[in-house]
Amino acid sequence: MSVHEQFADDLSLYALGALRGDERHAVQKHLEECSACRQELEKLQGDLALLAFSASGPRPPARSRERLMAAVAKEPRKPQLVRRARWAWWNVLGWAAALAAIAVAVLLSQQNSELRHRLAELETSSTNHDQQLREARQLLATLTSPDAVHFTLIAGKTPPQPQGKAIYVRSSGTLVFLASNMPAIPPQKSYELWLIPTSGAPIPAGLFKPDARGAAAVIQPPLPPGVEAKAFAITIEPEAGSSAPTSQPIMMGTGS
Amino acid sequence: MFAAAPNVVSTDAMLVSAVRSGDDQAMAQLYERYSPIVYSVALRVLGDTAAAEDILQEVFLQLWRNPDVFDASRGSLPGWLAVIARNRAIDSLRKRRPETNVSDVIVSIEPDLASGAEWSRALEKIRSALASMSSPQRSALEMAFFEGLTHAEIATKTGEPLGTIKTRIRAGLGALRKVFNP
Repeated sequence: MSVHEQFADDLSLYALGALRGDERHAVQKHLEECSACRQELEKLQGDLALLAFSASGPRPPARSRERLMAAVAKEPRKPQLVRRARWAWWNVLGWAAALAAIAVAVLLSQQNSELRHRLAELETSSTNHDQQLREARQLLATLTSPDAVHFTLIAGKTPPQPQGKAIYVRSSGTLVFLASNMPAIPPQKSYELWLIPTSGAPIPAGLFKPDARGAAAVIQPPLPPGVEAKAFAITIEPEAGSSAPTSQPIMMGTGS
Repeated sequence: MFAAAPNVVSTDAMLVSAVRSGDDQAMAQLYERYSPIVYSVALRVLGDTAAAEDILQEVFLQLWRNPDVFDASRGSLPGWLAVIARNRAIDSLRKRRPETNVSDVIVSIEPDLASGAEWSRALEKIRSALASMSSPQRSALEMAFFEGLTHAEIATKTGEPLGTIKTRIRAGLGALRKVFNP
């Protein structure tokens, strides 16, 4: 770590909160300009955390948990949609990190009920986890691939408009699709996503139903690799899905 | 969605994500995981169980109210909680307003402390590193961290030169870092 030597002592003291006035200000100013020293500060905070860990031992009384959860219950929060809105379409890396976290969570969550019945078969479960980890990694690779083509599907005239975003990598046939503001759909129906190839019939690319907020996702549906996509489209189909569209697309988007 | 999977060990990042979505059960899981360390640090600084409970409440409630103060992509949650708990406890000890913006505190730590066995081993190594320091060095480090004394205050208290205290603190932190980066 090439930390500026003249700040080496001061960085430790700064991390401890022991600097005042001009000394503190000088370090702050330097940190704004020097990424090496910012990284060193993060490591120093890590060193301090280790020192903090050395104090571990006492456990809080049970009433502390009750007190916290009572306070939490008094302050219910709606999901922070603001954060979601900050996701820029063009910020693929931001998407990738967020989506990979979601995907891992979805995959693990789906496996949960199965795991409940299979606690004795930990070895098998471990294999499944490995598989899911591979899937999550593949998903991340899809999202961050320079070959990824982005499709934006738009429909409707009244705000908030339904919107879908498909990220597709042709060579591996991998796809991540996210939708927002989708209208609710009757119980016996599903939305079906279609890959529209440059030639040939539409290929089913997954079924989905939006949640209460109108959000939905299709992550890595089974698709043949190597198909060049002209567009992605959404139709309303019977709940079990169709092998070919039975209605006109309600949303469609071409690649960019 | 994330935290409602009782048989799956959720990562800290997943739980913080769920807290961001308003999932109180994820909050309960984070509390189960890390309340002992937050409480222990606060108790060590303040020496008073009721005051330590107040810090514990404050630190976790802050995470609930604004989970974005912790950036899961850039640091360790237990490390962050421990450092924030110490900083808040020192503020409380000195009866001053919070001095550091918690979202500015990023704690980079090597070991993955999520599992109990890893945690026990890590703790053993940390304590062993502290025990192998000279008494004045360990003492300078602990006075600075757990008592919140400045280097000048430690120099006055011990009658030793300011430069010596600075060096001891820096070298002491360096020795701790070597525990996991030999």
